[in-house]
Amino acid sequence: MASAQSAPSLFWRLIDGLEALLRRLVPPKRRGVTGWLFLAPALLLVGILAVGLGYIIEYSFHELDIATYRLKDAYSLGNYQTLIERPVYRNVLWRSLLGAALVTAITLFFAFPYAYAMTRTRSAAMRKFLLIALFLPFFIGQVVRAYGWLIILGKQGVINAMLAGLGLGTLDLIYNYGAVIFGLIQYMLPFAVLLLLPALAAIPEDVEMASEGLGANWVSTFRHVVLPMAKPGLIGAGIVVFTLTLTDFAMPEILGGGTTDFVASAIYDSFFQISNAGLGAALSVALVLIGSAFVALFFSIAGSTTLDIGGEKK
Amino acid sequence: MAKRITGTGINRRTLLQGTAVTAGALMAPNIVIAQEKPKELIVRAWGGAWGEALKSGVADGFTAETGIPVRLDFTEDNEIKPKIWAAVDQGRVPPIHVNWDTTTNATISARRDVCVDLSDLPNLKGLLPIAKPTGLEGWPLVNTYSYVYVCAYRPEAFPEGAPTTWKVLLDEKFKKRSALYDDGIGFNPIAVIAGGGTLKDIPDNMEPGWEFYRKLKANEPLLGEDPDFTSWFQNGEIDIACTISVNARAARESGIEVEWTVPEEGCKVDTDGLWIPRGLPENEEYWAKQLVNYALSKDAQEKWCGALGLPPVYPGLPVPADLQGDPAYPTTPEDYAKLVSIPSPILVDNQPIWFAKFNEIFQG
Repeated sequence: MASAQSAPSLFWRLIDGLEALLRRLVPPKRRGVTGWLFLAPALLLVGILAVGLGYIIEYSFHELDIATYRLKDAYSLGNYQTLIERPVYRNVLWRSLLGAALVTAITLFFAFPYAYAMTRTRSAAMRKFLLIALFLPFFIGQVVRAYGWLIILGKQGVINAMLAGLGLGTLDLIYNYGAVIFGLIQYMLPFAVLLLLPALAAIPEDVEMASEGLGANWVSTFRHVVLPMAKPGLIGAGIVVFTLTLTDFAMPEILGGGTTDFVASAIYDSFFQISNAGLGAALSVALVLIGSAFVALFFSIAGSTTLDIGGEKK
Repeated sequence: MAKRITGTGINRRTLLQGTAVTAGALMAPNIVIAQEKPKELIVRAWGGAWGEALKSGVADGFTAETGIPVRLDFTEDNEIKPKIWAAVDQGRVPPIHVNWDTTTNATISARRDVCVDLSDLPNLKGLLPIAKPTGLEGWPLVNTYSYVYVCAYRPEAFPEGAPTTWKVLLDEKFKKRSALYDDGIGFNPIAVIAGGGTLKDIPDNMEPGWEFYRKLKANEPLLGEDPDFTSWFQNGEIDIACTISVNARAARESGIEVEWTVPEEGCKVDTDGLWIPRGLPENEEYWAKQLVNYALSKDAQEKWCGALGLPPVYPGLPVPADLQGDPAYPTTPEDYAKLVSIPSPILVDNQPIWFAKFNEIFQG
């Protein structure tokens, strides 16, 4: 315990020292600047991203000149018109959105009990096991994991070898939409668990006990106490999983067999395969807008202070 | 360099002339700087059998002659393109010295005016006409060999012998068991012919090809790139594919049972080339040119193209033993008559249009 107490005190001593130094260096009238100084690195990063996005938006209004393979100087809505007119882009977008919705729902369904078990188990060994089981695939990386699934689920993979051994024939387990969704769920699960953990850990066990003490059964307690209190974690995890899935590139590329592209693949193709930066930029802008609209919709349904990061709850 | 001097049978007069030229060159500071050797030359390359062939056929020999190490950069050809373009546009030094590229992509870069002119390379003289890029002024790139997108197949899946027509792809027996490149490259013109059109229809009437693709889509072919085809054959995922003969040959050499053929509709024949991006320091550009020049020499062409199993642009070189009489190794006009060649300008002008249509059919 002694060491647990000394660590924060050292930290706070450092913060106190830093504040004292700032009080000496910064005149009282300029004290308001201090906060902005701390925010400066983050603002700089966001600023660079905003500049990049500005360029992308600008590119999106220029069409490709095939004679020189450069974007034309003239501004035009041609690239956006192409996105609207060609059904392939609607299909790819729909496939990505549906995939993101499915992956989010299924991932949260599996991540919630996992995170709940991690916070409520009294066995340190079990907690360690759950942590290791969660982090082991997390450290491997998306591409390697996808290739791992190719080995396991392929025509000559472990599953099909077992099926063939039992005389059941083989199944097409990869290079289809189902394989992409499966790979994404497996990839997103640790993200969702990690985002749910703090929310569930913040729910005192006493509250659940009080609910049960007042006559509620486990289902009622879960529905009326645990779930509402875990809402910030669920919303946070949902948003992260949804946006990561919507913009994912590797899983559809590797497990999809080339015919189940998501929007990121279409953007890649535009920029690199056909060297049409204008069309790729228009697709990027469309993806940012649609992704942002869905996140905004999420917040508008769940309430703007849902993430419980300050302010009063609505 | 010493090797070349010995090979030319140099005499006293030539030696004196050469010494005088060298002395003159040393007196001109800019030329001295131009010939300063860089620490290394970076060549963008394809991996696997492709990269190994370039290393053994060109890079190692060049390093032995000049002492300059050659590093192969395996960045995807489509990904290095915008990086080079951005570097040239922004006045930065490009990330590579020599780009080993498809002629279509190289022509696109030439149209963007990012290529160094190679007209002064001595080894351009005497090459086959196919070495010269079409539809471009000068030599912004040089084609180095031709290759064929063959019909590769697993003999086990074709007990009655090699497929004689590409229409076999539509056979339900090969549902989810065939593969094409994920951008249609190598097959678009063939699809037109297999779909009932003729060569004259390309590029104005591609509809027979699109119709063929629509029918093929029902058979759910896999779409991928060079490394995918080898692993798909290896893992028993596919029985038939349209791929470059180099990949099929590499698969066979690694013990995978793969054969290839040129069906009655023909196969697309194309070329790859080398080009140097603008914006390199003068001495690096000079040595990059020497590397390209070396790649066009008889010795390098024989080793490089021999390892790839592809017909070089240097005339009269022997055909690798395992490819004697192979339709995927064209050497005579009759051989080429069985293949389908589309001029680069047509490919470049239509690449985005054909890709969009291919995508619309297979991703739609």
